[in-house]
Amino acid sequence: MADSDYDFEEDASDDEYIGSKAASGRSSRASGAVGLGKRKTQEKEKGKATLAWERRGSEASIEYDLELDGDLDLGEESIRQSVQEKEEERKRKRLRKDTKPFQRGIIRHVVLVLDLSEAMLEKDMRPNRYITMIKYTQEYVREFFEQNPISQMSVLGMHDGLCIRVSELSGNPADHIAAIQGLRFPRNPKDIPKEPKGSPSLQNALELARATLYHTPSHGTREVIIVFGSLLSLDPGDIHQTIKACVRDRIRVSIIGMSARLRICQEIVSRTNAGDESEYVVATDQELLRELLLATTTPPVVRKDRSAASAESTAALMMMGFPSRVVQDVPTLCACHGVLTSGGYTCPRCAAKVCSLPVTCPSCQLTLLLSTHLARSYHHLFPLRNWAEVSWRRAREKGSVECVGCLAVFPKPPPEDPEAGARGGGGGDDEMAVDGPVGGGGKKQAPEDEEESEEQRASESSRYECRVCESHFCIDCDMFCHMVLHNCPGCLSHEPGAG
Amino acid sequence: MNAIDGTVRQVKTDDTPPPSLLAIVLDTNPHAWAHLSSTLPLSSAIANLLVFINAHLASGNANEVAVIASHSRRAQWLYPTPKGPISHHPSSNGDANGDIEMNGVSHPNGSTTTTTPAKENANKYRPFSTVENAILSNLSNLLSSTTESDLASTPTTLIGGALSLALTHIAKSTLLHSPVDPLASDNPLSALADSESVARTQRIPLTSRILIISVSGDLANQYIPVMNSIFAAQRKRIPIDILKLAGDTVLLQQASDATGGVYMKPERPEGLLQYLMMAFLPDAVARRSLVMPSAGGVDFRAACFCHRKVVDIGYVCSVCLSIFCEPNLPGNLCLTCGSYLSLRAAQTATPALVARKKKKRKRVAGTDSATPSGTPAATTPMHP
Repeated sequence: MADSDYDFEEDASDDEYIGSKAASGRSSRASGAVGLGKRKTQEKEKGKATLAWERRGSEASIEYDLELDGDLDLGEESIRQSVQEKEEERKRKRLRKDTKPFQRGIIRHVVLVLDLSEAMLEKDMRPNRYITMIKYTQEYVREFFEQNPISQMSVLGMHDGLCIRVSELSGNPADHIAAIQGLRFPRNPKDIPKEPKGSPSLQNALELARATLYHTPSHGTREVIIVFGSLLSLDPGDIHQTIKACVRDRIRVSIIGMSARLRICQEIVSRTNAGDESEYVVATDQELLRELLLATTTPPVVRKDRSAASAESTAALMMMGFPSRVVQDVPTLCACHGVLTSGGYTCPRCAAKVCSLPVTCPSCQLTLLLSTHLARSYHHLFPLRNWAEVSWRRAREKGSVECVGCLAVFPKPPPEDPEAGARGGGGGDDEMAVDGPVGGGGKKQAPEDEEESEEQRASESSRYECRVCESHFCIDCDMFCHMVLHNCPGCLSHEPGAG
Repeated sequence: MNAIDGTVRQVKTDDTPPPSLLAIVLDTNPHAWAHLSSTLPLSSAIANLLVFINAHLASGNANEVAVIASHSRRAQWLYPTPKGPISHHPSSNGDANGDIEMNGVSHPNGSTTTTTPAKENANKYRPFSTVENAILSNLSNLLSSTTESDLASTPTTLIGGALSLALTHIAKSTLLHSPVDPLASDNPLSALADSESVARTQRIPLTSRILIISVSGDLANQYIPVMNSIFAAQRKRIPIDILKLAGDTVLLQQASDATGGVYMKPERPEGLLQYLMMAFLPDAVARRSLVMPSAGGVDFRAACFCHRKVVDIGYVCSVCLSIFCEPNLPGNLCLTCGSYLSLRAAQTATPALVARKKKKRKRVAGTDSATPSGTPAATTPMHP
């Protein structure tokens, strides 16, 4: 009976409520780590000190690094080195794990459900969870449409037992961002800002999301992403019926919790994701919340078993219009907003003028976009493979002195192997760990697939090697190439058939 | 601080323009330059370009420049000069050997970098001459290392690689200038030691832009890398300017359009310097108050993957996003990824509306059928 503990919390007095919250916040560290481990983004320093109030945003991280290195009691040079390694490790773990070219659901229909219950007034994120969430979701929406330009999104809010619709299903990021902003600062001055209130209802949220996604075409994905700060769900009926209905409607739910893992969330996620619970994660601080949100911008992998079950609904040939741009001297009304604009795009089928793309033609329902929008999704289909860490030995072998991308000078390798091993405990450990697989790979090239499955870590030599062209890059270029550019400058600057 | 010791310490005012980084991608495709040799030989183009670079450097003390050659089979740095791998001989890469060579890293290696100090002219502004010497020597290295087989193999150029190099360089320089992102501060210790002074002096935003001097025509083989670069530039708000001396590509037009750069296709390439100075010298800040030449209409229509026809309305595979010009594919299989496609499923299933009952229909039903219902429909007035 999953409801019983919710009832307990509801009946409890305020003091008790907060007390239990704090306790759960503490325990959430462990549970959050479990969820992360499944996502393979677990940080190493996690175990040390990651309570939200200790980190207090990003400005405290320096302080925290210092404290950490003070424990190690090393020389100044190695402190500097390990601080740098920590930084690089943190950056690198944000890289996407899976770079295998899976089939991904490029055309996504996502319902983002925000928790607007009173649990969001907790101050473990600064200034509180609600404001943090509002801030990050705006960034998230922008990033989502960068990555998925031909996708659709709708935003809902769980507020005082009900589920309210914040924005309609549409492909225009500006609409959603304005609507999310409007929660705190309403456009209409007569409206009162939506403050977090009451209890959330997962069932209501799922039902409304299901209704929103009901008419979406079958070749796209149907996803619900819930940001859930509360520890209870106050439902009007049997939520298990709702879960069944969601499974039937091919809806995939992923939940980003904020305080602790909940059994019901786990069940919702595992049942709607064919037994995979990795879509349920708990953010223990705001930085993690941001990362977890941004992680969902990657289109989900299409599951094989599911497609076998309903073969006809997997792929489709979509009719799309590629409109031409018109430049007008006299402003005319656009069909999408009904405002006067000069210039825009005309639908090739019905010649209605729309002011921005991509959009569904308001008069003939044709999907209008530019060929560049399609190209924007190509990096999901042909991802850039992760680069390997480079051991000192390998660095010496290649003799790389500077990053191929930005010409930043690499640190020199230590003079000899035994000395490098003696340079303090932390460095020695890393050397052993990193040297193993690369050394095993021999002089030619790092082994391909077994390295791929490894954790993304910092490289001891601050070099990262592209497995294809064997160029060495610095950490900044590594991040830039994998997160923004999606090209390998090394591979592209040499003709593939150079031999 | 002012409140503590009563001194007046003004943070540096913004009367100087922000430093500007200009990354130039020079298309050195030998085939295309051979065509141009009657009007604008490469040597005079380089001379013009050097004047332009000097003008850029002269217009601000902190201005920087990076030049990348997009050659036929590789993309290579012209300035700054890469140092290259030190122990390049695969036969003699013993550990001790590598160490000895490593000690000489700070010194440029004689084989790869040739900054000839003898050539330096005392009457020349020093930064100009270093840039010029580096570009000229690197370019001549590049040209002399081009073999005939390289020329024969491909008529196109590696613009995608050159763009990627330019973007990574700009990204790194931007980081070095303003470590705004706490995750991306390049040296955490310096931030610790005297974070106040360092942060204040370093936090000047770097405005950067890319200029592609393109002479090659067909770049379709690098569609995806170039597109990825364009999107990266768009995200980082780096305008890509195009100076198209010869050939014509939609790809580069789209690049300048998407990133807000200038696209120019001069009718008389021999006036290169004039075009460079007038259209491409102002940086992003100055451009706000100038009327920039615009490309006019950009062709955004897509070409289908099956016949290379330009289409208005296309059919797109939902799996791999290939564009086809007609819905009747052989066996309903996608030509690119081979997945089964159904056209019917693509239609949006609009929710069925329940038709409202109308008064009229009820009345009809009441009249034609003699049902023994207690309340005839006609007697209860209903609003639809």
